[in-house]
Amino acid sequence: MDPTSDNRLMEEVRDGKVERLAILFERHHVMLFNFFLRLSGNRSVSEDLVQDVFFRILKYRDTYQGESKFAVWMYQIARNVHVDHLRKQKPEVPLDDQFEEPAADEAPAIERLTSEVDAVLLKRALDRLPLRKKEILLLSRFQEMKYREIAELLGCDIGSIKSTIHRTIRELGKIYLELQGGTSP
Amino acid sequence: MNCEKIRERTADYLAGELDEESLAGMRAHLAECPHCREELEGLSVIWTKLGVLPNEEPSAALRSRFYGMLEAYKKGLKKEGEGQGAKRALSIWLGRLMPRKPAFQLGLALILMAAGLGSGFLLSVRPRSAARAEMASLRGEMDGMRRIVAISLLKQASPSDRLMGVSWSVRIDRPGDEIIAALLQTLNHDPNVNVRLAAADALYLFYDHPEVKKGLIDSLAGQTSPLVQVSLISLLVEIRERRAVEALERLIQNEKLNPKVKKLAELGLVQLS
Repeated sequence: MDPTSDNRLMEEVRDGKVERLAILFERHHVMLFNFFLRLSGNRSVSEDLVQDVFFRILKYRDTYQGESKFAVWMYQIARNVHVDHLRKQKPEVPLDDQFEEPAADEAPAIERLTSEVDAVLLKRALDRLPLRKKEILLLSRFQEMKYREIAELLGCDIGSIKSTIHRTIRELGKIYLELQGGTSP
Repeated sequence: MNCEKIRERTADYLAGELDEESLAGMRAHLAECPHCREELEGLSVIWTKLGVLPNEEPSAALRSRFYGMLEAYKKGLKKEGEGQGAKRALSIWLGRLMPRKPAFQLGLALILMAAGLGSGFLLSVRPRSAARAEMASLRGEMDGMRRIVAISLLKQASPSDRLMGVSWSVRIDRPGDEIIAALLQTLNHDPNVNVRLAAADALYLFYDHPEVKKGLIDSLAGQTSPLVQVSLISLLVEIRERRAVEALERLIQNEKLNPKVKKLAELGLVQLS
């Protein structure tokens, strides 16, 4: 096995060379940060959650089996961290307020054609997806995970992941078009 | 292939996971079925748009918090491991030694007490040296971790990360050849002036390492930024490196040299010779 592969490094972390986690952190923290950022829409929350993921990796390093890809295990932890975060937040903040909506409406008309606005609209559309669909889409499109790995991560069969992807993209396209219609002159 | 099959394979199609045969089958159906064609085109557009959404960079605080946590965890682990190991060994050992009969137990206790008093007096110096050894091994391990962190940061694309890499390397007690080589590499080849300057300062702290003096002297000829040149000249003068005389003389002969740098180099020559 490649000595610098994620799995090998994590096995070393498990067996006591915890400083090897630094390499895994350098490899994955930006991706993980963007995963949380797309889920929460909040930078400082996302940084806290990334920190929490790596803390739990250390805390539960004994339980790492090395059978599946390290990233699958890491995103399992990441999802738990996110769920815990939502649970803690719920009583105080209504769900709608969890997202810092970008101020797309204030953009001058001339900029509406730019890809920047396109990106803003798409992000808003993503925010309107139900959590599970959004997660599956993020994992496959942004976190470089195969459908097979996502199925393993979520504990369901690959067929349902594929059909969810299909339906989610269709739904996203619909929301995106609605938003576009809403802001065009 | 029918419309149903197309729908089943859409996810794989979008992710580029279909083999040639399935692709050909799909294309054949799409050529005949405007409905599927239209739908797949729409989905592909969204999928592609998602792909170009830019990633954002987290703040520098995230990285320093992580390394702070890792260091703290390592410290805690070390303490815990020693405590538990010692406790277990001690209880097994005592269990074996303890006699079965109460009278013998009392006798043993008295003997141990006497032995304890005596040896406590004799060995009162020992704990200090043991603690010193423990501190040394802990320091060694921390050094190892800092080395890994510094090296990985020095290889990052963003200048602020590399700057942080330099500052991590300064915190290493015994840098070793790898760190020195990485810092020299940074000093000579980093595209960012600030990172090069920081590397020069960091190397100055390790000037008793055999490679450093030679590296600083050799570096002078390759530097083009006056800022870095000035910094290197003053470092060489400061560490009183006589071998630098030649390098300074060669620098002064360079016609394109900034006049202020030239003046400083001449002054340095006077101080060194």
